[in-house]
Amino acid sequence: MPRNRTVRLAVLGSSVQRAAPSGYSSSRSSAVKRRVVVGLLVLASFVLITVSFRSSALDGLQSTGASILRPFEVAADRVTRPFRDTVGWFRGLVDAKNENKKLRVQVAELRRQVIVEQSAVQQNAELQKALDYKGPASIADYRRVNTAVLANPQSPVSQSVVVDAGSADGIVKGSIVVEPTGRTGGTGALVGVVDKVARHVARVMLLTDEQSAVTATDLANPSVVGAIRSGSGSGDVLILDRVPKQPYVGIGDTIITAGTLGQGPLRSMFPRGIPIGTVVSRSNSDASLFQNIQVRSLVDFSSVRSVIVLVPQPRP
Amino acid sequence: MDALKAGVVLFVASLLQLSVLTAYGAFRTASIVLVALLSISLLRGSIFGAVAGFATGLLLDTATLGTLGVTSLLLTIGGFWIGRYGETTARDRFHAPFLSVAVVTILYLLGQLLLQFMLGEPAPAALVVHGLPGALVLNLLLTLPVYALARRLFPPLELGGRVREVRLLG
Repeated sequence: MPRNRTVRLAVLGSSVQRAAPSGYSSSRSSAVKRRVVVGLLVLASFVLITVSFRSSALDGLQSTGASILRPFEVAADRVTRPFRDTVGWFRGLVDAKNENKKLRVQVAELRRQVIVEQSAVQQNAELQKALDYKGPASIADYRRVNTAVLANPQSPVSQSVVVDAGSADGIVKGSIVVEPTGRTGGTGALVGVVDKVARHVARVMLLTDEQSAVTATDLANPSVVGAIRSGSGSGDVLILDRVPKQPYVGIGDTIITAGTLGQGPLRSMFPRGIPIGTVVSRSNSDASLFQNIQVRSLVDFSSVRSVIVLVPQPRP
Repeated sequence: MDALKAGVVLFVASLLQLSVLTAYGAFRTASIVLVALLSISLLRGSIFGAVAGFATGLLLDTATLGTLGVTSLLLTIGGFWIGRYGETTARDRFHAPFLSVAVVTILYLLGQLLLQFMLGEPAPAALVVHGLPGALVLNLLLTLPVYALARRLFPPLELGGRVREVRLLG
C-alpha cells in the first residue's frame, strides 16, 4: 500500500532534500567525517601527551606560546584589578573591627620581642665577624626577583601557579618562592619551588602539592625535625611528618625550613629560617611511630597575587 | 565567521579563567571555559565542538605550562559528546545546557584525575571529591548567562541545517 508522504514533507519543509540514495550516502559520509575528525583530534592529543610527558621536545614551543599569551594575561589582570580590589576592600571591612582588636594586642607583644631580637641579631653579626664564620647558605645569598602571579591553580588536581618571570630573569628549576614582605631584607613565608621554567614565565609547585616535601624544624625547639608535606584534607593544611614522639611540639609553635642538616652529600634546596606556618594540632596514635602534627601555612594559597623568587647567586 | 567568533569567545573565557576567576578562592573550582565550550558545542554540533575543545585545551595547557594534550583530550571528548547531544536529542530543550554542564563537569574532573593518575602525577581524589559539589553549583550558575550569550552569538541553525541527517523511511 503506497504511503502518503505529503504531511511529512510539509513538516520538514523544503530545505530537506529527499533524493533517497544521495541523502543516505551524505548522512553516511557525514558520520564518517565526524568520526575521522574526532579520531584525529584524540590521536593528536595522545601524541602531544606522550611527547610532552616523555621528552622536552615541545618545551621550546610551549615556552614561545606562553610568552605570546603573557601580555594578554597581564592585560586581563590589570583590567580586572579594580573590581578585585573593590571586592577585597568590602571583604576586609567585614573583618576589620575584630581583626583590629587582635592586632593591637599582637603589636604590643611584637614590639617587646623586636627589641630583644634586634639586640640578638646585632650580637650575632658581631660574633660572626669576629670569628670569620662561614655558615650554610642563608637568605642573604639569594637575589630576589619580585614577580606577579599570572595564573592560579586551575583545579583541585593542580597545585601550581604560573608567575610572570622566567629564565630570562635568572630563574632556574628549583628556585625557592616566598611571599613578599614589608621588611627590607626579611623574608615572607614559603610558597613553593619553581618546577618548570620558560623564557618569560615559570611554574611554581605550591607547598600544597602532593609531590612537595620540605625539611622543617620547630623554631622554639630545634631538635624537632620533620618534613612538611601536603595534608590529605583541606588544601591549605600541611602536615609535619616524620617527627618522632619524643621531642615536644607545642600548639602555636612556628615551623621554619631546617636547611641542610649535618655534613652529608645531599644538601637542602632551602636555606634555614624561611617561615612555613604554625602548629594547629598535635596528636599521637599507638599505631604510628611518629606524631600527627598539622600545620596551618602562613600563606593564603587561595589569594597569592605576587611572590618573590629567590635566585641563587655565587657566594664571594 | 562562527569559527572566528568561537575563537574569540573561548580565548576571552580562557583569560578570565586563568587570571580572574581562579584568583578568588570561592570560585576556584568553577570553569567558565568548560561552560562556554559546552554552550557553543550544543549550538554548533560535534565536529565544531571537538575542534574548539582541542584548540582551547591546547591554549590552557600552554598558558599553565602543563603537560600538553591533557586538557585538549578532555575538552575534545567533552565538546564532541555534547555537540552530538545537541545534534540529536537535545534540540531546543531548556534543560539541555544545564544537563550537559552538570554531567561534563563531573566527568571532566574525574577524567582529569584519571589522566593524572595514569601519568604518575599526584591525583588527590579526596580534594577532587571535596571540590566537586562546589564546581557543579558554580558551573550551573554560570550556565544561564554564558549559554544566553552563546545563543545570541551563535543563533540556532535553521531547520534544514540541523536535519541534514534525517533519513526518511519508506
